[in-house]
Amino acid sequence: MFRFLFILVLLFPAGCRQPSTAKPADRPVGVVDTIHYAHGFFIVRYPGYRDVGIIDRRAGRADTLHFLLVEQGVAPPADRSGLPVIVTPVKSMVVLSSMHVAMAEFAGVADRITGLGSIQYVYSPIVRAGIRAGKVKQVGIDAGINNEAVISLHPDLVLTMSNPQAGAGAYKTLADAGIPVIPDADWLETSPLGRAEWVRLWGALVDKDAMVNKKFDSLVQSYQRLAAIGSQASPKPTVITDMPFKGTWYVPAGESFMAQFLRDAGADYHWSDTKGTGSLPLSFEAVAPIALKADFWLNQGLVDSRADVGAKDSRFASFKSFQTGNLYNYNRRINDLGSNDYWESGSMHPDLILADLIRILHPGLLPQDSLYYYKQLK
Amino acid sequence: MNGSIRKLSLTGLLLLLVLACVLDISAGAVRIPLHDIFRILFSRAPAADASWSFIVDKIRLPKAITAILAGCGLSVGGLQMQTLFRNPLADPGVLGITAGASLGVAAVMLTGGSMTTIYAIKELGPSGSWLIACAACVGAGMAMLLVLVLSGRLRDNVMMLIIGLMIGSVTLALISIWQYFSNPEEVKDYLLWTFGSLGGVTGKQLSILGLIVGVGLIAAWLSSKMLDALLLGENYARSMGLTVRRARTIIVCTTSLLAGVITAFCGPIGFIGIAVPHLARLCFNTSSHRILIPACCLIGAILLLLCDCISQWPGTQAVLPINIITSLVGAPLVILLLVRRRNLSINAYR
Repeated sequence: MFRFLFILVLLFPAGCRQPSTAKPADRPVGVVDTIHYAHGFFIVRYPGYRDVGIIDRRAGRADTLHFLLVEQGVAPPADRSGLPVIVTPVKSMVVLSSMHVAMAEFAGVADRITGLGSIQYVYSPIVRAGIRAGKVKQVGIDAGINNEAVISLHPDLVLTMSNPQAGAGAYKTLADAGIPVIPDADWLETSPLGRAEWVRLWGALVDKDAMVNKKFDSLVQSYQRLAAIGSQASPKPTVITDMPFKGTWYVPAGESFMAQFLRDAGADYHWSDTKGTGSLPLSFEAVAPIALKADFWLNQGLVDSRADVGAKDSRFASFKSFQTGNLYNYNRRINDLGSNDYWESGSMHPDLILADLIRILHPGLLPQDSLYYYKQLK
Repeated sequence: MNGSIRKLSLTGLLLLLVLACVLDISAGAVRIPLHDIFRILFSRAPAADASWSFIVDKIRLPKAITAILAGCGLSVGGLQMQTLFRNPLADPGVLGITAGASLGVAAVMLTGGSMTTIYAIKELGPSGSWLIACAACVGAGMAMLLVLVLSGRLRDNVMMLIIGLMIGSVTLALISIWQYFSNPEEVKDYLLWTFGSLGGVTGKQLSILGLIVGVGLIAAWLSSKMLDALLLGENYARSMGLTVRRARTIIVCTTSLLAGVITAFCGPIGFIGIAVPHLARLCFNTSSHRILIPACCLIGAILLLLCDCISQWPGTQAVLPINIITSLVGAPLVILLLVRRRNLSINAYR
């Protein structure tokens, strides 16, 4: 499967739109970076520069946005004029999602962030210190982005979380001002490792490829080692997740991150075989027969105790998991501003999330240690 | 249409209500045989599947009762507003009460992390779903108070209508500001609340909803003579010995109570309040509130029960928000009736 995707990625640069001035025949052959899990980008190395492609494969078409990562002091390739050029290593950047903060932390360049979509929801102590010192400014997100604020920061790069399909359209003002805007579509990935693999792009942006790739490879090893333990475990306890609100219960679909985590952690998840990468909007009664008997209840969201769960809806008291106290929520790491590290660094540490889940569902299978992102609601 | 035919029609509607109720309780994502449902409802004997009694007792029955209460309350509230303002487009939301309730809910949901006052409220006891209901009641109550204070200074009902719309506009702007600065999780919760839902009201909340809607409906019934007089115009009502200002206060209070408590527990449910009074007038061809009020209750409850059945179409696991269904089903129905009838004056059915 992954090999097939790898070949697909290899084929992409050839199949995609090229500027009219391009003469591929004259160009030296590029070296394609190996990407195992992510489907949304590729990196091709040429002498003096890298070609980064952001692929949009939604809506049944494959289109690619190209960016040239040109090393400082090297002239951009003449045959590829018209493509946005980013001078590497990038020294300052504006990021719009908390996943980007986590990736910057992972690549060891969190101190290079100078602007954030929202400064309220940050966990990273490095970025928080930057905010306190006034070195990190708020710029707003999507339609609410404050172009003047971004331009006044003179960043080398803006990373948005917009859909590549939208291209640079929404951020045209910034592109016109000479600030490259990369749609960092990591959130479109369908596996935890695929999302985290986007950090390889960060390695290329800050010229730390070797270090970042090594760190990512060890993350993959650690995840796969845990998944091998978790998925072999038996018996598999039944699990429900999330909480219904006003009669509708959004449960993770079978191809979503959470379903993947639950499979790898050795859980019996009722909707594991459903289609879709998002969530399924089910009625309370469709989930109730499963929920009444489920051994564990995970990811309740914005609650902090068993009493909170009971107060949301008195009917929860009939659930087996509620009676046995097997309620676990991902809110161990919430800072004083209410920002949850699960949504931030969790995206770059799927191995820690998986280890938490295995420790919850199969006590004794892993060396005893305290949970990292999760805690039991008491 | 004479009295006996009307009585017959009301009885017919009552039968329809019972049918709609049975249909609503028997429809759902989980297929439960009808005789099992009756056994669970009436004999308390354990069902073939343990989860069935949970589904019928704790999910479907409360939902059906909520639908009946909300259907009655919103329709009667709408009828009162259409009569008071003598405007066929009025609904329980025109006074800004629904918007006020939304503001209360937004204040809790969207500023939850940052406002210390919310922590203070949480310390006082109400938590979870109670907090939302209380916030909506406070919001609706404040909007009502504002309307009442202003209505004391105004002679004209149309000006009150405009002020209600303005209050609604201001509250929406405030909510938009909070939405803009909130994190996506909270905005999503709020958005789901605005879709309306009949499924979140159980236990004690249901008793409170029933009690308040009951009080509101009795008050509306008792004020039906006043409403009849107001329909002829304020001057005429005055000449009949009615204290218009007092009547207005009573009617505004009743509607606020009904709309406020229903919005608090079910979210803003649109359309029923506008459409059902027209349906009632078309069916009964009268403008007497002694007949229109029970007719509105019955039609409103039936319509909302049927909408709830459709929202959880048998065989699907998903459930659509009730607000979408009421508009999708209700609007064509009213258009159809109007095309056949060709007029829409609240005085036309004398």
